Amino acid sequence: MGYPYSHASEVSIISKHFGDPDARTLEGWKKRGGYEGLQKALQMGPEEVIELVKDSGLRGRGGAGFPTGLKWSFMPKDSKKPHYLLCNADESEPGTFKDRELLRWAPHQLIEGCAIGAYAIGAEQIYIYCRGEFFEANQVLAKAVEDAYEAGILGQDVFGSGKRIELTVHAGAGAYICGEETGLMNSLEGRRGEPRIKPPFPAAAGLFGLPTTINNVETLSAIPHIVAKGSDWYRKWGTEDSPGTKLFCVSGHVRRPGNYELPLGFPLKELINEVCGGVVDGNALKAVIPGGSSVPILSADQVEDCLLSYEGVQEAGSMLGCASVIVMDETTDVVHQVMRMSSFYAHESCGQCTPCREGTAWVTNILKKLLAGKGTEEDLTTLMELTDQMTGTTICVLSDSVAAPVQSSIKYFREDYQKLIKGGEVNG
Amino acid sequence: MKAPKFNPGWAGNIGEYELTEAEIRGEDFVGERPLEGGHPSASATYPYMLETKDPKAKLFEGAYLERFEKIVTRYPEMRAALLPTLSLAQEVRGYVSPQTMDEVAELLELSSAYVRGVATFYTMYNKSPVGKYLIQVCTNISCNLCGAEDVLRTFLEETGTELGEISGDGCFSVVEAECLAGCGFPTCVQINSKYFENVIAEDVPEILATLRNEQSTDPRKKSLKE
Repeated sequence: MGYPYSHASEVSIISKHFGDPDARTLEGWKKRGGYEGLQKALQMGPEEVIELVKDSGLRGRGGAGFPTGLKWSFMPKDSKKPHYLLCNADESEPGTFKDRELLRWAPHQLIEGCAIGAYAIGAEQIYIYCRGEFFEANQVLAKAVEDAYEAGILGQDVFGSGKRIELTVHAGAGAYICGEETGLMNSLEGRRGEPRIKPPFPAAAGLFGLPTTINNVETLSAIPHIVAKGSDWYRKWGTEDSPGTKLFCVSGHVRRPGNYELPLGFPLKELINEVCGGVVDGNALKAVIPGGSSVPILSADQVEDCLLSYEGVQEAGSMLGCASVIVMDETTDVVHQVMRMSSFYAHESCGQCTPCREGTAWVTNILKKLLAGKGTEEDLTTLMELTDQMTGTTICVLSDSVAAPVQSSIKYFREDYQKLIKGGEVNG
Repeated sequence: MKAPKFNPGWAGNIGEYELTEAEIRGEDFVGERPLEGGHPSASATYPYMLETKDPKAKLFEGAYLERFEKIVTRYPEMRAALLPTLSLAQEVRGYVSPQTMDEVAELLELSSAYVRGVATFYTMYNKSPVGKYLIQVCTNISCNLCGAEDVLRTFLEETGTELGEISGDGCFSVVEAECLAGCGFPTCVQINSKYFENVIAEDVPEILATLRNEQSTDPRKKSLKE
């Protein structure tokens, strides 16, 4: 169920026990059907588990939407080297707040998903890289992991199967870029969290240079249900290309912000107006960021027919990302918010690539200049050219993430910029 | 636009669920975590940000040494223990000075320059001392839309500090934080190890008064006193 509010349109699979403290305990989790998926997986061959996940069509929930089963199948089969499963719990994309709920309400769901994943790819060691700031949620997960060890669900002999699966919870130390998969690997190895050049891809050379699969918390949390109930069951929801359910994190100017689990393909307008109770104070909608701060902004017109699936949001002109819907009403100063996002990226740029290190700061300075009423029409041209040069020219996509809101806001909210250029203020 | 007044909140106690603060924070389930780190699998999930800081404490001794030794066993190379070890050092000392970085380097058989390079990459390591309570106010987009800048300004005014300074009584440091992943509960404020959510500017004096009255936010305060 949604947290802190629920809605009748929801399909609660991974969020079913949000707000239910008893579900955090091992006994409580087992009573709710917990660890049936893992026990079933252990009866199947690893290949069979991968095929099942492939058939379910589950796509990575961290933002890129890469098919999970396919990712697992890239792991070398006959290699004698140790394999790793990494869980990315370094949730830090502005607008996203789903993983913390999954960690603190359903820690055993994640542990189970991790164990199934490790079994499928032949890994004996799992690391869950948790965001350091999530102190409270991390302690809930840590306690659940200890309980799982004690019950023989993790360790030398998982459920008496003879399989060894170790799990370590590792806390990060505050760096957005460590949410990027190779940045996370470097960070876990005790280095600066600078993303690596790909190839080699993690399946060939990942953590400690060994074959590694990395999945998001939400992706792994869905695995136990898919394994227990089958791929056809999971495909009952969502679309052909985006099967299943997804947590939508809605924030900003709505009456009932929060996490809602909905089938993929759900209409964005209905999410805002029905599920979230509409825009605050009866104001008109101005803009929506559908997938976290790194994706293009949608204008109110584009929201009209937008369906929240990977392909649907793309058709509307943006990306589903991690389904973090940030709603802005008519009182919003779009340029100020874009500046706030770009200053975030300037702060979080790791500094390896020149277009990003210099570009993020430069973009922020130009936006500040515009907001101070000192901008010119030429600045808009500079912003467009600059962000063009920041797209596709760097090791990771942090740089592209600045370009997306800047370019889309200039495209759809040019008037807001022009008012600033003429010396007037936007929206009082 | 202001967020609706519900509380100075904790982890989203606003909706339909009837839950206690301990249940929402997970304290009822976690209880008191052992100082020596518990099971090795969980030993790297700290740090606590403690009110009590001892910049001269030894790295490491007693229960902290036990925890450090557990952390090291979880990785195939010593270097991978660097982040948890720096966190542990900060838990003990309150901040990570260049001297602390050098000591950690020695413990893990790394060069000083390398450890400094890594430590300065991450924002959670305080490079200089902070107040008893480190108040981190998120001003990123979702909180910003709901009045985060007012909240930050009020924290600064009420504590009489500039960003990053320690207040005269040593109690508070206020900093601006990047997204804390509590976007549905704006404004999200992290005070030491705890999240305070749905904070509006009007809540700030009350929050500070509570902290001044030494109602502890330390999850392990009791065990420290013993």
